[in-house]
Amino acid sequence: MWLTNKFIEEYAEKEAIVFDGKVYTYQNLYDRIKHYQKIIDQEITEGQVVAITSDYSFESIALFFALVHKKTIIVPIASTVQEEIKDRIEESKTDVVLSFDKEQLIFKKRDPSEKHEIINKLSTSKHTGLILFSSGSTGRPKAMVHNLDNLINSYQGRKNKRLVFLIFLMFDHIGGLNTLFNCLAMGVKIVIPTDRTIEAVCKLIEDHKVNILPASPTFLNLILIGEGHVRYDLSSLRLITYGTEPMPESLLLRLKESFGRVKFLQTFGTSETGITKTQSKNSTSTFIKIGDENSEYKIVDGELWLRSKTQILGYLNASMERFTTDGWFKTGDLVEVAEEGYLRIIGRNKEIINVGGEKVLPSEIESILLTHPDIIDCLVYGQANAITGQAVTADIVPKSTNEVRQLKRNIKKFCKERLDRYKVPAKINIVTKTNFSSRFKKKRIQDT
Amino acid sequence: MSLEKIEGLIIEILHELAEEEKFKSFLEANTDTPLYGGSSLLESIDLVGLLADLEDAVADEFDIDIIIADERAMSQRISPFRSVRSLTNYVQKLIDKVEVE
Repeated sequence: MWLTNKFIEEYAEKEAIVFDGKVYTYQNLYDRIKHYQKIIDQEITEGQVVAITSDYSFESIALFFALVHKKTIIVPIASTVQEEIKDRIEESKTDVVLSFDKEQLIFKKRDPSEKHEIINKLSTSKHTGLILFSSGSTGRPKAMVHNLDNLINSYQGRKNKRLVFLIFLMFDHIGGLNTLFNCLAMGVKIVIPTDRTIEAVCKLIEDHKVNILPASPTFLNLILIGEGHVRYDLSSLRLITYGTEPMPESLLLRLKESFGRVKFLQTFGTSETGITKTQSKNSTSTFIKIGDENSEYKIVDGELWLRSKTQILGYLNASMERFTTDGWFKTGDLVEVAEEGYLRIIGRNKEIINVGGEKVLPSEIESILLTHPDIIDCLVYGQANAITGQAVTADIVPKSTNEVRQLKRNIKKFCKERLDRYKVPAKINIVTKTNFSSRFKKKRIQDT
Repeated sequence: MSLEKIEGLIIEILHELAEEEKFKSFLEANTDTPLYGGSSLLESIDLVGLLADLEDAVADEFDIDIIIADERAMSQRISPFRSVRSLTNYVQKLIDKVEVE
């Protein structure tokens, strides 16, 4: 395969992966892939569905590429919740479950019922596959099937770079895989956290002089709250990319102020279509331009629609209702259009709050709230209300919890001066932490 | 005793609202001040905010969590949101109910 060939032909001596205090070169990675190829050769056959229950590690990455060589259909599962792992194995009709016991590879063979037509097609056409799951914040997680050869091939032609990346997103996330493929195609050094706390991540950036940090706005705000940028030397950072949820403009401005010369770029993608190349207008702007030879876009009723060469073949457990018959994917992301082809993602259509028929976007309110001097974090969502259907509710993390009543009053007044009446939070809850997922993404819709 | 306190909380919230020009007349709010419907100044969105504030105030004052704007309130034959008095009585009922339980 072209990518793993590059590991020895072009990058052999370069450092590839830093994990758990150890540094591995591209040669080491290549050798480890060969090692796993030998191990799996007798146990696994082409076209089988194989789950890897592990987050990123040197071992899991090597194993992943051994499975690519074997032309299997890979299900990366980074969850540590047993119930979730079980569900994903069931839903994907996995044949073999792989896990690590220290460095020992454990095989668990299963005998799943008949495979989905999409999987059979992939197997017979001798393509590798990838099954990813949606986060399932609004229902059962959907199992999505990618043609993995096609996805990896979209990184062909990347030039050799001398950079250090930190992988923040997880092994089973399209954004996490994008960073991995992108990094390996460029032969850069990848630093993998064993724990995604601010302390651990900031320490890794300092120790390994990380240049590029992909993260979510929620996580970046946590760095500011915890003053990670003050307590650690993060001066090696040149670029921070952010995505997976809308960036409040006020937070972006605070970040830019706190991180000085670092450039900020927004990334955009969906599990269904892959990552789309975008360009931020500048480091303090949340406007982006989509310019990707592999995908096209259009805006229908304020919603972004994408059609890409790397989109999924289909779902194993859901209908294709979000795809049109001519292949457009309705992303569910609402956008605002500006001049010169710039767009701004303003929220998810499912998160819109309907106050007596008026539509409210949580991100707009959050961005205003974050400019209040006594607020360090917030989360805005709709709560059922018998009078207006829904009412705007804000969870607020204040700088200090003295004078709560006065603070609430003050916040309402602050909002009334800056927002239309129906957008002002009716209910304010003072909390110590906003509700975000283990993947540092804010949860505005309760799990069902 | 409690009735007076509840009314006091409502009037205090109306006084806060009176800082806005269009609600100026709430400075003279009393038991008979109309709240919602008829000649009242409040729109539904203002009422939602007022009731949320009142829920907070009741929680602070009596250490009791109540939800005022629910289906039950909406299906009362006579709206509890008509005036300061009707709202006071309704909130008292909700508090009594919680205390009994």
